Amino acid sequence: MKPAQPPSSLVLVVDDDEAVRGSLKLLLKSAGLTACAYPSAAEFLAAHDDGQPGCLLLDIRMPGMSGLELQDELNRRGAIIPIIFITGHADVPMAVEAMRRGAMDFLQKPFRDEDLINRVTRALARDRHNRAQLEARDTIRGRLARLTPRELQVLRLLAAGKSNKQMAGDLGVSQRTVEIHRAHLMHKTEATSVAQLVRMLLVAER
Amino acid sequence: MTQSPANREVQALLDVAIDAVIIIDQRGTIESFNPAAEKMFGYGSEEILGSNVSLLMPEPDRSAHDSYIARYLGSGIPRILGIGREVAACRKDGSIIPVALAVGRIRDSDPARFVGFLHDLTIRRHAAEEQQHMRDRMSRVSHLATLGEMAGAIAHEINQPLAAISNYALACQRLLKRTDPAIAEIQDALQRISGQALRAAGIIRRVRSLVRARAPNCEPCDVNALIQEVSALIRSEARLQGVELSLEFAEGLPPVEVDGIQIQQVLLNLIHNSIEALTTVADGERRVTVRTAKTTPDELTISVIDSGPGVDPQLAGRIFEPFCTTKEQGTGLGLAISKSIIEAHRGRLLHLPNRPSGACFLVRLPVVDRAR
Repeated sequence: MKPAQPPSSLVLVVDDDEAVRGSLKLLLKSAGLTACAYPSAAEFLAAHDDGQPGCLLLDIRMPGMSGLELQDELNRRGAIIPIIFITGHADVPMAVEAMRRGAMDFLQKPFRDEDLINRVTRALARDRHNRAQLEARDTIRGRLARLTPRELQVLRLLAAGKSNKQMAGDLGVSQRTVEIHRAHLMHKTEATSVAQLVRMLLVAER
Repeated sequence: MTQSPANREVQALLDVAIDAVIIIDQRGTIESFNPAAEKMFGYGSEEILGSNVSLLMPEPDRSAHDSYIARYLGSGIPRILGIGREVAACRKDGSIIPVALAVGRIRDSDPARFVGFLHDLTIRRHAAEEQQHMRDRMSRVSHLATLGEMAGAIAHEINQPLAAISNYALACQRLLKRTDPAIAEIQDALQRISGQALRAAGIIRRVRSLVRARAPNCEPCDVNALIQEVSALIRSEARLQGVELSLEFAEGLPPVEVDGIQIQQVLLNLIHNSIEALTTVADGERRVTVRTAKTTPDELTISVIDSGPGVDPQLAGRIFEPFCTTKEQGTGLGLAISKSIIEAHRGRLLHLPNRPSGACFLVRLPVVDRAR
């Protein structure tokens, strides 16, 4: 059977109820997903590595640190893992609050297996997309970091739509010098076009 | 002894005064001791007149009182005179009671004579304690009042094993679809399913025993007083919903031997249901009446009657069954629990349709058997 996700993605489960936790783990496993479960928010935080791709299935109502409080803490830490809240039928207002604070989805228990798996699959896809974007941004930032201050200046003027002649005037240098800067820019950023170069600047500054 | 009219008026004042009034001379000898003082201290005036007033005080005042008077007479500096304070008084039976004491010198008396007014504070203390007791009782009632909340917590508790059962069963189905199912894993999951089903059953058993396990704390109660307390709790909700809540009490009802809190819990639930049922009724037509009556020689009936749409005749036979509900947020446990509470009191909870419309719930309770 083909796994639904690359093995690197992990579904993290935080629920204080041992039976709910165990059954979720088995259900995810039966769908070809790898899960790792924690009985409390504190234990999850102690073990959590935000570099691990995956998604978080989080019980909203837990003794100690609640699901909402864990969400706050993760937001504070700038974690990017998508969160799916698991709620009881009376917790809908809480779930709405969780969505407002950036949760990706919520599931009311008991739920149908398709609902769980569809949502988890979606969350994992979102996580991969987010991580890919972050990685691309980091790559671009790395390349832009190679530029000299002067080259960066030329890049900004280029992004502002200035011609070589205007840039030469703005910078008080010859057009020839501007052309040399541009050639260095393209080389150092590995960009294949001016349009790509400008897009890189936008991504890097996001 | 003949008395002048003025003296007779003073005597009348002393006789009817609610507070104790005692007059003493400069040596502390009691000259006058009014009926309220007799009642407060337990001495007859004939036995106390001529005694030293210090007899009415506990130590250390008893031994020191002569010196208080002597000091005042010598220096003019009063200890209590004209000030008034709370002191301890000693009754004939030796018990000590708190009193507010005010003492004044009778004007122009020479040798000096003093008049003391004593107000019994035990009554005020009792009232404060009574009030505290009432507050405690109210908070217990309002704590129990939220049958709905309790049911919500129960629902959450039962939902956990149900969610686990559902997950395990779904997982088993998926695992069985594989070409090479892991039998051991499936067996384990099946075992967990039965374990979780038992867990859910255990929660339900606990709920059922919740009412029974709490041994009813029965004592003779006045049903009208119980209803009065409940109405105080729910009146603001009624007002909020535009519901007119009226109480029609029969007088001279014999007491019932019940756990007052549990009966109040039931009444609160019934009145609350009635108020909720009235939301569909036009403003001005929303009425809930709670009536008490002695319906047979050994039974009292409390009726909770509303002008709402009444119970759907199709449901009427099932309303006392657990989980029978017509409310979106209802658990269907309120009436079921209410019925078991009333039956635990050897009473009955009945429903009748009201005319022209509405519902009428009857709580029938046995009266205290005085012959026993």
